[in-house]
Amino acid sequence: MPWDLIIFYMVATICVLCAVGVVASNNPVHAAIFLVLSFFNVAAIFVMLGAEFLAVVQVIVYTGAILVLMLFVLMLVDPDDLPEFHAARPVQRYVGVLLGAILLLEVGVAIIDRTVTGIPGTASREAVDVVGGNTQALGRTLYTEYLLPFEIVSLVLTVGVIGAIVLAMPERLGERIANRRGTISLGHPRGTDFALPVGPLEESPIPGSARDEAVMAGPQEFGRELVMVRDAEEQPVVDLRR
Amino acid sequence: MNEIGSEHFLFLSAALFIIGMMGVLVRRNVLIIFMCVELMVTAANISLVAFGWELDSLSGQSFAIFTIAVAAAEAAVGLAIVVALSRRVKGAVDIDEARSLRD
Repeated sequence: MPWDLIIFYMVATICVLCAVGVVASNNPVHAAIFLVLSFFNVAAIFVMLGAEFLAVVQVIVYTGAILVLMLFVLMLVDPDDLPEFHAARPVQRYVGVLLGAILLLEVGVAIIDRTVTGIPGTASREAVDVVGGNTQALGRTLYTEYLLPFEIVSLVLTVGVIGAIVLAMPERLGERIANRRGTISLGHPRGTDFALPVGPLEESPIPGSARDEAVMAGPQEFGRELVMVRDAEEQPVVDLRR
Repeated sequence: MNEIGSEHFLFLSAALFIIGMMGVLVRRNVLIIFMCVELMVTAANISLVAFGWELDSLSGQSFAIFTIAVAAAEAAVGLAIVVALSRRVKGAVDIDEARSLRD
């Protein structure tokens, strides 16, 4: 048995076992760790297939970015929901396993029976080595033959990121911005009143500034006084609860 | 390095895909289902690269890169949906609890 076949079987076995662990583990954190292991082995498979650049991308994007994102979300959701197994109803479970077995049988027959009809391409191992390696050859292909799909994929990523921000933004953040009265201005005579609590303006306690203290130093026996002013800036601010 | 037949890689791809599919069908935790979808995407990637390797073509690897990019966008949007759901619905990690898209 040649060595590369032994290595392939080793890597593939670990990969499949870790995939089973993802499906079967109780704790989603354990499932995520199994997924990391499985993806590392997939990267090894990519190296065996001569796709070194893709192996690196697999490690950086999947195990680096997506799994970290997933662990962050695991920390954000309610911890009471996490540890249970959350399996489906028994009928659904049996149907799922049965469908999987049937599909495995079909695909196995298809793989054994297949014949290669495509025309072999120009990227043989020698041709790739002439260009300088897998990364260089793949870069040439991406930026010549697949330039338009490449740009479209960048657009898809941008839209995806914006959509993710919009979806995950707390609703209360928007409300808080919409309910903010007053202005944020350091030169305002009342000072900065951006720290007002949410609610009607009349009920909000406003910290008195020097001018308000001068107003309050006057006669204290008025009740609710009608103040006629031309615009809102002139209105003396009086804390009636004092 | 000796040549390994590409059937090996295709069988590995099929096995990973079917394990992922079974996970989607069997589990109810939305995060596990998400990981299983990623597993299926990766299985498809292995298949693409294996066919490209068999035919001496770089198209398979190019498409695999596009697939990884789209899977990253999908992961961002999907996890954002999970976060938004878990804020509104109690126990939204269980997909049977979240039945409708609006309250």
